[in-house]
Amino acid sequence: MNQENNKITLMLMVGIAAMLMLFISLLLIFIFMQRKKLQYRLNLQALQSAQKNKLIEAAVRSEEIERHRIAEELHDEVGAILGASSLHFYGINIDDCDDISKEMYQKGKSLLDEGIHKIRGISHNLHSSILQELGLKEAISHFCGKISHNSIVKIDLNLTDKHSTKVSQKSISIYRTIQELIHNITKHAKANQIHIQSQHVNNNLVFTILHNGNGLTQAQFEELRFIKDGLGLKNIQNRMILLKADLLFSHHANHYSIEIKIPVE
Amino acid sequence: MLKIFQFIMDWSEVWALLIPISVLLIKKQPASLKLVVFYIWAALIINLGIDLIWKFRSMLPAAYNSNNFLYNLHSVIRFYLFCAFFIQLNQAFLVTIKKIIPICFTVFIIINFTFYENFFDYWKLSSRLLSTEAIFLLFYVIQYYLFKIKENVTTKITNSNFWIITGLGIFVALNFFIFLSYNELTAHFQNFAISLWNLHNISYVIFNLFIAKGFYESGKQ
Repeated sequence: MNQENNKITLMLMVGIAAMLMLFISLLLIFIFMQRKKLQYRLNLQALQSAQKNKLIEAAVRSEEIERHRIAEELHDEVGAILGASSLHFYGINIDDCDDISKEMYQKGKSLLDEGIHKIRGISHNLHSSILQELGLKEAISHFCGKISHNSIVKIDLNLTDKHSTKVSQKSISIYRTIQELIHNITKHAKANQIHIQSQHVNNNLVFTILHNGNGLTQAQFEELRFIKDGLGLKNIQNRMILLKADLLFSHHANHYSIEIKIPVE
Repeated sequence: MLKIFQFIMDWSEVWALLIPISVLLIKKQPASLKLVVFYIWAALIINLGIDLIWKFRSMLPAAYNSNNFLYNLHSVIRFYLFCAFFIQLNQAFLVTIKKIIPICFTVFIIINFTFYENFFDYWKLSSRLLSTEAIFLLFYVIQYYLFKIKENVTTKITNSNFWIITGLGIFVALNFFIFLSYNELTAHFQNFAISLWNLHNISYVIFNLFIAKGFYESGKQ
């Protein structure tokens, strides 16, 4: 009888244990499958992100190559032709011409000089040789020097000397971003005072641009990014993604601020 | 020491419910967990009644000193509330079966307690009712996992529903055979039945811990 009782209790305990084990097995299978799905999704997201970054990198690189090509052709071909035209123009003797012809000659000479000057400017804007030869700090200083004019817009600089003079795709992207931002500040924000500073903070190169114009807040920047006409801002965003940098627009009491935090080695 | 342990276990059906209640007092729960919240409060009242009747049975009139019908009531309430909880998850899997089960359960209750058993039986709780409730709830739990495994959408594994359903699954899986054999055990192996009921109480504590975790997670989401 005792044996019978023990058998019954044993069977009951085995039944309970078996039921519990079956349930726990199902639970473990569930958790395992869910983790696998999550891992797959994360891998897919990483692949998509890498693909997107590669596309952005390719777009930016091809943009730079095209800029370089156009700059070279403008300088070497158009610039050379205009230069030669100017030489021929300067070689013309107008002493025997009438007043109208002399006036037209002066006008033509002035237009030709202006054209040569503009071509040179466009070529330099498209491809800065200063960036190649002297590095990021000098390139930014030179660019700001060209834009700056005491009566229209005053630009102050306080750039760290720790910029590497070795030109890399990073430097070019930073330079283009600063260029685009300054263009936007002068053209759209209509600022007349701009202050640019850079410093190294915890393995990051931080650029801060302060201006007294009518700038953007972060929310406005996020909105404008998606508007068709905001190509400049989209380019900036693409370069930020490429640099793995953070861009922050903010509004303070009497000025607007743009902070770019770029991780550097 | 053993007496203290037994005393704690005797009242575990009440204090176990205080664990999720303490989370409820701190964190407001979303509408999707309303049914579970309602179950906790209903279970607290019923279990309090169960334990108070048992402890003060000598003071109560003979007709009112049995708490077995409250176990039956608890089982019925637990089934319907969790059944509704699973249906309102709106999982597109075995939808018709999930809706038919409560109807079948209702029919089972009517037939069982009309012809075979007494809902207010003085001497015993209904093993048949509790085990049927357990197996149906186990079905709901298993279909939840199967649906989640099949589903293409990847969400956070350990959300509030997961914790609550896992707790319920552990509770019913562990207790199915206890419920199934309880009446026979109390008749022939009373001491063993009492020990086994401690196992039920421990699993009930674990169940409530999982519910509390579920409430805590929903507050985070």
